[in-house]
Amino acid sequence: MTNFAGLLGCGLLCLAVGATVLRLHALPVRFRCVFVAATLVAVLVPVGDLSIAAYVRGATGDPSAATLALAVSAVFARLTGRAVFERREASALLGLVAGAALFLYPFALGWTAFDPYALGYGSIAFTAALLLVTLAAWRMGYVLVVLVVLAGALACLGGVYESRNLWDYLIDPLAAAYALGVLLAAGGRKLVSQRRERAPVV
Amino acid sequence: MSARLKWTGLAAIVLVFAGLAVRALDGPPPPRFVAPRAAAQPASAKPLYGAQLLPNSSTQSVHSATAAELKDGKLRAFWYGGTREGAADVAIYTSVYSPKEQTWSPERPVMTRELAQRSLRRHVRKLGNPVAGRDRGGRLCLFFVSVSVGGWAGSAINLMVSEDEGETWGPPRRMIASPFFNISTLVKGVPLPLADGTIALPAYHEFLGKFGELLRVDADGRVIGKTRLSWGKSSLQPVIVPRSETDAVAFMRYAGDRPARILMVRTGDAGAHWSEPVKTALPNPDAAVGGVLLAGGPLLLAFNNAEENREDLSLALSADFGASWRLARSLEGESLLPRAPVNEYSYPWIMQDRAGDVHVLYTWGRSRIKHAVFNRAWLEGGR
Repeated sequence: MTNFAGLLGCGLLCLAVGATVLRLHALPVRFRCVFVAATLVAVLVPVGDLSIAAYVRGATGDPSAATLALAVSAVFARLTGRAVFERREASALLGLVAGAALFLYPFALGWTAFDPYALGYGSIAFTAALLLVTLAAWRMGYVLVVLVVLAGALACLGGVYESRNLWDYLIDPLAAAYALGVLLAAGGRKLVSQRRERAPVV
Repeated sequence: MSARLKWTGLAAIVLVFAGLAVRALDGPPPPRFVAPRAAAQPASAKPLYGAQLLPNSSTQSVHSATAAELKDGKLRAFWYGGTREGAADVAIYTSVYSPKEQTWSPERPVMTRELAQRSLRRHVRKLGNPVAGRDRGGRLCLFFVSVSVGGWAGSAINLMVSEDEGETWGPPRRMIASPFFNISTLVKGVPLPLADGTIALPAYHEFLGKFGELLRVDADGRVIGKTRLSWGKSSLQPVIVPRSETDAVAFMRYAGDRPARILMVRTGDAGAHWSEPVKTALPNPDAAVGGVLLAGGPLLLAFNNAEENREDLSLALSADFGASWRLARSLEGESLLPRAPVNEYSYPWIMQDRAGDVHVLYTWGRSRIKHAVFNRAWLEGGR
């Protein structure tokens, strides 16, 4: 079960990367469907001992709900030419993932004696904090955030992956790097446009 | 969003978080060590000492020996070997020692890189440190390190279990102990069975920082909790020695600035919390140590007795549970002993068997595993 779920998740990740790199939306619809089917077969069927998804899994581990949501969104957008979620929904998710990553990774990698990763094994305080964040997202209509939290929590309760830690089901370094990259790029663009507006007209 | 969908969403949130709350409240009980067993050997026994190299001649390079006592009183050792440390052909080998015949059985591999990646369903680049122990059900457990990407900082831990004292093994399963691609978690210290049936596994990290942790592992080999023994960039390879259900001391390899000393931390609540690391009086050349509480007696530590190199492997005794130390014996480094081609003696694994004899396994010159066996009378008659 855990191997199947992990490999399937990594296969989906490969599909999202392939669809994005190859600009799938520029191709005819028939080719898009063939590409998706062919890519899934190519990455999931083992050649020798391992499949391509198994090599990816060796490097990345099992993808979190945030990464899978971003991957599904990317594949859907490249297949249909339409976004699954509004821009504000994606921005809210990326903002939360970036904030969670800045809270989690430096400390989990030994920066101080405090280890927030240990909270993910079943801390009431962590559960309560996550509930507050989820309720706030629900109240503000951020459906994507609510879906990611619920999917991650359900997968954790069901033991879908090898981990028993809730953090591993919610975010991972791939989603964190993407979120931080997007937010930094957006911040950089905003800074440049502000400077241009302030610059004297010659 | 329709009102109906919105309220359905709220109901889903309430249900899922009720599940998370039950999970949090239904967690494992506070940890309790299994108290060490009572004295097994009369103090008047004659001094006993023996040493031999294991028959591990099929590989050029070997390292990181570990062992567990079998139910019939024999000793099963494990180590990793290959053309060099980190090579793709490195496998984990085993051999069995018979105290009666004082011989080791021919070595055989129990885990290869290829077998690991087939079972774990992911790419594995190399294998590393094994660590043997038992769970509360009496099954033999073998934790071992594997790397998929990069060097040892990219390590993860795996566990396989044997129901027949190590003759055959179940498939390994990956343990998840870090949120960062699950890399940088390694093992070296003795796993300790806890009173509730879970296992306390000393582990350490080597990516960006170097620090020790204690993982709590359930009967299925899943990490269900962890506490930090240290933090920062200078402590690793913890070895934990309990003396009661709640009290234990841990020793760590030191990788920081001079003076280079073995680090020590203490717990009074079975590993839930640890004291700040302090330097002991014993030197440490950034090398692993081994420790055991002798039955009914002092604490025994095997360590490299120098700040610069691993050319001397010594034994020290502490009658006050680590506060002060007395050098007892030297296993390697004295001029009369034959030297290995590579003058390095490291990674000691130390344990006491049911008969009261003490066994030390260590890497001898990077090419052989050496086994020394002795009793309390030999140990205390040294200096």
